[in-house]
Amino acid sequence: MCARTPLQTPALAHTEAVSANAAVDDGRRVVLSTHGLTKDFGKLRALDHLDLTVYEGDVFGFLGPNGAGKTTALRLIFGLTYPTSGYVDVLGYRVPEQRREALRYIGGFVDDPMFYPNMSARRNLRLIAEMNQKVSDKRIAEVLEMVGLADRADSKVGSYSHGMRQRLGIALALIHRPALVVLDEPTSGLDPQGMRDVRELIRELGRQGITVLLSSHLLHEVELVCNRAAIVNKGRLVVQGPVSELRPADNVVKILTREQLRAAEVIRALVPGEKLRQDGEYLVLQDSPDLIPEVVRRLVLAGIDVLSVAPAKEHSLEEMFLELTGDSEEG
Amino acid sequence: MGHIYREFIKILFQKRTYFGWAGLFLVPFIIAAAMRLSQEGPPAPEQGGPPFIHLIELNGLYVAPAALLALASFLLPMLASMAGSQTIAGEAEKGTLRTILMQPVRRGSILLAKWFVANVYIALGLLILLAGSLAAGGVFYGLKPMMLLTGQTVGVAEGLWLTFLAYLFVLAGMAAVVSLGVALSTLTDSGLTAMAAGLVLVIIMLILGSLSVFDFLRPYLFTSHFDAFTNLFARPIDFVPLGKALANFAAWTIGMTLIAWVIFRKKDILS
Repeated sequence: MCARTPLQTPALAHTEAVSANAAVDDGRRVVLSTHGLTKDFGKLRALDHLDLTVYEGDVFGFLGPNGAGKTTALRLIFGLTYPTSGYVDVLGYRVPEQRREALRYIGGFVDDPMFYPNMSARRNLRLIAEMNQKVSDKRIAEVLEMVGLADRADSKVGSYSHGMRQRLGIALALIHRPALVVLDEPTSGLDPQGMRDVRELIRELGRQGITVLLSSHLLHEVELVCNRAAIVNKGRLVVQGPVSELRPADNVVKILTREQLRAAEVIRALVPGEKLRQDGEYLVLQDSPDLIPEVVRRLVLAGIDVLSVAPAKEHSLEEMFLELTGDSEEG
Repeated sequence: MGHIYREFIKILFQKRTYFGWAGLFLVPFIIAAAMRLSQEGPPAPEQGGPPFIHLIELNGLYVAPAALLALASFLLPMLASMAGSQTIAGEAEKGTLRTILMQPVRRGSILLAKWFVANVYIALGLLILLAGSLAAGGVFYGLKPMMLLTGQTVGVAEGLWLTFLAYLFVLAGMAAVVSLGVALSTLTDSGLTAMAAGLVLVIIMLILGSLSVFDFLRPYLFTSHFDAFTNLFARPIDFVPLGKALANFAAWTIGMTLIAWVIFRKKDILS
């Protein structure tokens, strides 16, 4: 592993002029959409009528447990595999029919990014990137600098650690300033500092208006960097939307007063008994968020000192994910 | 052209490329040295020996066709099979196939570039074998006017030209083996499996071609035609076996490349 070189975020990239064919939905340009995307492997249905919509400027989290169909979907997006039915639309170009046109606008990797081990990072980038279009030495140096590999640019990739190959994969993804960057578990194999650097890089891409599709099983990663997300399970889309809306509303409230018995009597006059219970020193009120102001007012009018009113439990995306996928195993 | 250039760069960065070429360069020296050290010498063709080898002691120019004849039956097909089978399966095994197919490229162009460069690898190998043969023959025995298999003598220049044509002929045969390797390469994600399958098929063809009970198959097996180049060293030249051989090579080359193209165009890349 080379000495830590932080990822550079300023002046990262800019979205090139994108296809005029791109659909517009709710006033926002759709960069990527999948339409009834289905993939069977023999009798196994790996992806079942997946409908995703990723808008321009989204940092879109693509979440699901192992075997949910995330990588299958990414392979279909890149045209590596052929759908059983349905299609992918990238800025108005259909995959697989117009795969080559669509791929001019996409950079990224699926699974671990793989390179030619006997060649240097610099030569790998030139060799692979020029399959798309000409790339200058300056741009190669820029992206290597961006991902913190400038000082190992001329080392053989075979000598790279897993984390360094991940970084090189990100460099290749960004080299042509694509409109859409697709990253499959980009922080896998990175140390905590590396993870933080990559997440910051993704955030910066988002700030610069570059659309990112981030496939991850790390829910907190998606919460940290994504504005929209989709959850898939067993090949099916469970939910998609803004991350803030995916998180369920907090509807359990803990109330602490100086006189809990009297307080319980006052509250029972307002809400059905089954909605109120005692939990240690707290009164716990369920499913009555609209009544909270009235409850507090009544308690104060009754001369009861209210010491605190707080959500009983912070619902995380992770909890919701586990609830939706019915799977206690992260991954 | 870009794809061909990139594929060529890739093979130049592989150590096995140089091992193969080095082996081909050394073989003529081994043959020439063995002849020099041998007490009895090999039997003449009329005594059941192979053509050319018994003539090496008279003229170093014969090292080139002798080496070609010795290698065309096994080592060259092995190298050609290896080169062909590594084209797709080798990259699939390393995971780089998906890296390149995630670029906006035509799969057919990639396949043809790989097929072409595998053939260039074999062509360069043959050129190295020829250079090594001339160097070994020249050093050990000297290059002199060549006596043909039918008894006439031609000058060194014509002898060299005939030898060059013989090498071109074998290159056409190896294109058939490369194409078989490429077709097998599209069927698996393991370079080793593709290579083993290619070698096994070549060996089976060699065995079938050597058993008289399977004589009816001989015209269709490319392995049965590799030695047809010896007709170039006769006067008059018998073009019938040469033509049949070239037609066989062309059929295998076109057929196998077409099969590879059909499979690869719609192949799910799961490696």
